Amino acid sequence: MKVLIVDDEAPARQRLQLMLEEMDGIEVIGQAANGREALNLCHTRSPETVLLDIRMPDMDGIEVAMHLQAVDNGQRRPPAVIFITAYGEHALAAFEAQAIDYLLKPIRRERLQQALARAQQLNHAQIQALHQAVEPTRGRSHLCIRHGDRLDLIAVSEIACFQADQKYVSVRHDGGESLIDEPLKELEQEFAQQFVRIHRNALVARQRLIGLIKTQDGGFAARLAGIDTPLEISRRHVAAVRKLLKQFG
Amino acid sequence: MSGIHHDNRMIFLPDFCNVRMVFIVVILAQLLSFILALGPQVPSGERWFQLSLISLFIQWVALTDCALLCLLRPYLQRASDTIVALASMMVVVVVTLVISEISFIISREFAMESLLPSSWHSEFLLRNLAISVIIAAIALRYFYVQNQLRQSIEARAQARIQALQARIRPHFLFNSMNTIASLTRTEPALAEEIVEDLADLFRVSLQTDEQEVRLSDELQLCQRYLHIEQARLDSRLQIDWSLQNGNDTIKVPALSLQPLLENAIYHGIEPRVDGGVIHIGSQVDGDRLCLSVRNPIPPPSARSTHSSHHMALQNIRDRLAVLYGDQGDLRIERDDNQFTAKLIIPIQRQESPS
Repeated sequence: MKVLIVDDEAPARQRLQLMLEEMDGIEVIGQAANGREALNLCHTRSPETVLLDIRMPDMDGIEVAMHLQAVDNGQRRPPAVIFITAYGEHALAAFEAQAIDYLLKPIRRERLQQALARAQQLNHAQIQALHQAVEPTRGRSHLCIRHGDRLDLIAVSEIACFQADQKYVSVRHDGGESLIDEPLKELEQEFAQQFVRIHRNALVARQRLIGLIKTQDGGFAARLAGIDTPLEISRRHVAAVRKLLKQFG
Repeated sequence: MSGIHHDNRMIFLPDFCNVRMVFIVVILAQLLSFILALGPQVPSGERWFQLSLISLFIQWVALTDCALLCLLRPYLQRASDTIVALASMMVVVVVTLVISEISFIISREFAMESLLPSSWHSEFLLRNLAISVIIAAIALRYFYVQNQLRQSIEARAQARIQALQARIRPHFLFNSMNTIASLTRTEPALAEEIVEDLADLFRVSLQTDEQEVRLSDELQLCQRYLHIEQARLDSRLQIDWSLQNGNDTIKVPALSLQPLLENAIYHGIEPRVDGGVIHIGSQVDGDRLCLSVRNPIPPPSARSTHSSHHMALQNIRDRLAVLYGDQGDLRIERDDNQFTAKLIIPIQRQESPS
């Protein structure tokens, strides 16, 4: 069985590595110190099981699991996930409820063996429930986009706006522009705290709104920090945008 | 605010050897004299004269009571409340009787029969006795209730401070255990050191009787704590110390700086992929010691939404309040990328131990 170790603490990774090396039929294909590394390694090395620490900087283990589960559209089976935590996080109740296995640090050898023997892939509903338990009000911290063999992670905090085209949604962010195929409506719901709808085809980051300008045809457009061309605001959203701008002063 | 006594079994009588207490007794005795002199049976023309006589008598009795209770105090220290009450009552009764008798003798010897006619003898004794017993009973009851109240307040403060006694986060305990388990094979020497550090940390956190320690001890403990975290977080955790010299003996609440470091690591370092620097400073400003801990604030996407933060800070605030009243403070300053916690502790001049 090919296993990937994901933990932000070096001693913890080392210990798991030692324990796994002593087990028969286990091949450790790598170690990742954060979610980004983990997703990349999963993409390139296709582990069968991922040992995933829950509390990690930048992207927590649950979000990593979410990305792992979400993007493989049938071409490849997502790896099985075993969560690891140092202490009874409040989310553990959700783990129990979803019958998802997890290990407590310091991990016992026999528990690890047991977990590996029955490790399962998570399904969408399970991950959603976990995510609800951990961050009920917040969406993903990153969007994960796969182009063939490349994997792009875009921090949501770096996104200026989503614009719906005919088929795709284009994401304009500090690193450029990417296409995703998630409906705008779902994005709006997931990121309701950070983004606001200004047009039938556009969501913009609340933080980036810097001003309103009048367009030649008598409508309004929003100026966004980091974006040169103002974005059209549909008439029914003008009042809401004005209010937001006032709040930020 | 005075220190908190640990000995709850204490005599419920106030300390009559204390000048302040004697002064209060004098005042109360005078008030009693006024009441008696204002009585309806005193002819109004003689009120001032009567007042001076009554005052003389009552002050005499009251001060003698005070002196005797002061002398008796060491013997009553360990006695039960009932014995103390009976003994005090006995003192009052005996003193009243003896002084009444002496007054009677004096008036007879110095030919002032008009003041205390011999026909009054028994009535005079009985009346004085009755007044003394009633006043003494009221006073004892008052002292007793007040003592109960004080004890329950102290007990509550004691329980509170013990409950507040900085709790080490369970998260930290389990992380450390995991670090030790990891290092045991790869770096046994470091694992050994960390076990020692952890033991020291828990020894202090389990200690409930010593609420204040020297700054040097607290700083040493912080170093032990940081040593443990360094093993876990490696190069992600960097520390910048800027400590003013010569403040080692200043007393600070035990485990007051350490939880701030724990907070800084938990909220400022762990959520950042690249970690960061924690700045620790100490500085004396007039009669106050200022300890500060500054950490970077992670980007909004990485911020933890669970706020164990406030609990730890509130805990320190509460302990400062119990120990120093409004002299101590915990101030929080934050801007876009830095979070600073400042601990303000009054420097106490060396007082005699209570």
